Amino acid sequence: MANVTLTKVGKVYTGDGGASFRAVDAVDLSIKDGEFCVLVGPSGCGKSTTLRMIAGLEEISEGSLEIDGTLVNDVPAKDRDIAFVFQNYALYPHLTVAQNIAFGLETRRAHRSGLVAALTGAGSARRDESQAIHARVAEVSKTLGLDALLHRYPRELSGGQRQRVAVGRAIARDPKVFLFDEPLSNLDARLRIETRTELRMLHRRLAATIVYVTHDQEEAMTLADRLVVMHKGRVQQNASAQECYERPANRFVAGFIGTPPMNIIDGHLKAGTFTANGVAIALGAEYARLGDRACALGFRPDRVKLVAPNTAGSVAASIAAVERLGDRTDIALDTSWGRLVARLDADVARSLREGDAAGVSFDSSHAHLFEAGECGGRI
Amino acid sequence: MKRTPLTNAILWFVLIMGTAAFIFPLWWMTVVSFETPQRAEAAITGSAGIALFPPNPQFANYANAVRETGSVPWMGFVDALSNSIVVTVLVVLGTVISSSAVGYAFARLRFRGRNPLFLVMLGTMMLPGQVTMIPLFLLFRQFGWIDTIMPLVVPAFFGNAFFIFMYRQFIAQIPESLVEAARVDGLGHVAIWWRIILPLCRPVTAICAVFTFIGTWNDFLGPLIYLHSDESATLAVALNGFKNQYGGLEDVHLLMALSVLTMIPCIVLFIAAQKTFVEGLARGAVKG
Repeated sequence: MANVTLTKVGKVYTGDGGASFRAVDAVDLSIKDGEFCVLVGPSGCGKSTTLRMIAGLEEISEGSLEIDGTLVNDVPAKDRDIAFVFQNYALYPHLTVAQNIAFGLETRRAHRSGLVAALTGAGSARRDESQAIHARVAEVSKTLGLDALLHRYPRELSGGQRQRVAVGRAIARDPKVFLFDEPLSNLDARLRIETRTELRMLHRRLAATIVYVTHDQEEAMTLADRLVVMHKGRVQQNASAQECYERPANRFVAGFIGTPPMNIIDGHLKAGTFTANGVAIALGAEYARLGDRACALGFRPDRVKLVAPNTAGSVAASIAAVERLGDRTDIALDTSWGRLVARLDADVARSLREGDAAGVSFDSSHAHLFEAGECGGRI
Repeated sequence: MKRTPLTNAILWFVLIMGTAAFIFPLWWMTVVSFETPQRAEAAITGSAGIALFPPNPQFANYANAVRETGSVPWMGFVDALSNSIVVTVLVVLGTVISSSAVGYAFARLRFRGRNPLFLVMLGTMMLPGQVTMIPLFLLFRQFGWIDTIMPLVVPAFFGNAFFIFMYRQFIAQIPESLVEAARVDGLGHVAIWWRIILPLCRPVTAICAVFTFIGTWNDFLGPLIYLHSDESATLAVALNGFKNQYGGLEDVHLLMALSVLTMIPCIVLFIAAQKTFVEGLARGAVKG
């Protein structure tokens, strides 16, 4: 197991016409031994490219990458001692499950002993190694519940089973770092949640360093020791999942983390009062020191309270949609601040009907303020 | 779609006529190979009709044909057969190995000038063999390769444009992540080609092998140009001996008997490889 350190790592693609595109920009990241680090962001944010640079599948254009303190920028993938789990699993279709799991072990053995050793009577050592590989495959398949499938081909497996074989192939080699590239996105919703839990348990058992890429923020939050939110090739926030949720570093993170997403309204703050589209709400005295500025106000849907229409300190709204989820209900509200979402207890929301008028109020101690702009920082 | 008896009948008629047209030469050849010399000659000169089945089948024709091949009884045939086998096996191996390796390179390696090179390679397909025949002959004579199998075999190890194209198209469909997984697992490009790509290319390899086999086995012009002595002739050239050696067509029944024998390996191979073969053709058609 190992630390992984990225220092000012960047990736620039140069097109045929000389035009260049910066997919990853100055990423600084220090992943500790045994840490489960999740890179999350919308598609095209550079998270997969970052992962592939760590793997050695993409060249690093700028900066340095160290695994266990050794600079590996120019070390080929096979010599970095990493394992990579692909989104489509990338199982070798012509090999059985057992052969797939053993493949990496065997190629490594072949590297070490080679033809010379085979010819100069290292036969018994070879046999020992074969047995060791066999034992390792048995051990791994038992861990993952693949014992009964060892002689099947990938085409004869379900999606979930293939996924487990892909994980098995990775853990068989006992690498320094595990890299996962959206490994759950081809599974159906139920299996995805089950496998997520299994991965979390596997991580604890192996105490492995894991870098995991996903676009699904819920998956990211449940798995991560450390959450790295990326957007447009840059790291937006690098913190625990809880901190990203409670204290988003900027407007992008605020909008990306959490379901349903945070309500964010562009407006103006003056003397502790936030005004947008002519509707003003007093946030409280502690906001007065922030002065007179353009900014964005954010509050999570579960902090929204619905009050009677025209209540002082509320925003007038009409209920556009009611989505009942069993224990809770999501309400879409049309207001002069635009479309807002409230998440209420099912009991509270029981009497609400689409088309009803209401007032939107929220607890200003849970409000977030951001600088204006797409990635405006937290104030 | 539900077929009426009439469309069924039309369909059957067309299929049967088509099959008959394709089978006719084969049937004719086989019938003549079993005829007596007189009846065979009559059939070929058109002075008499030909029976559906020979009334008096001459099985001895086959033994005679084998004995009379080449200049040494029996051994002439053995020589020609072994020459054909050696040339064909080497050409098939060479074509599969080189075409798949080059196809892999064109599909998966990034190198400067890849696309122009690929176009140049495709361009060579437009060049008729007759154009390069004489320059090639002069070149191989310089090498001292005349009357050896080298001119027939060595070019196969330098790839075949059409099969390179087929391999490239097929390999381009194999997910990139498989190659990347193999790289992470510690393989270099040669090992990836040999251990991952080639096993997955089975349908293309079947097509490449069968076409190359049939083409080489039946090739007449190449061996005729480069192989001059009797001992080095392949079966296709030895067949021609029946005409040259005796002139005229007295031995047409033997010619046909040997032709039937020569054809057997191609038919057997085609039937054996048919499943993989059709799978490959269909795949090319859908995803080409």
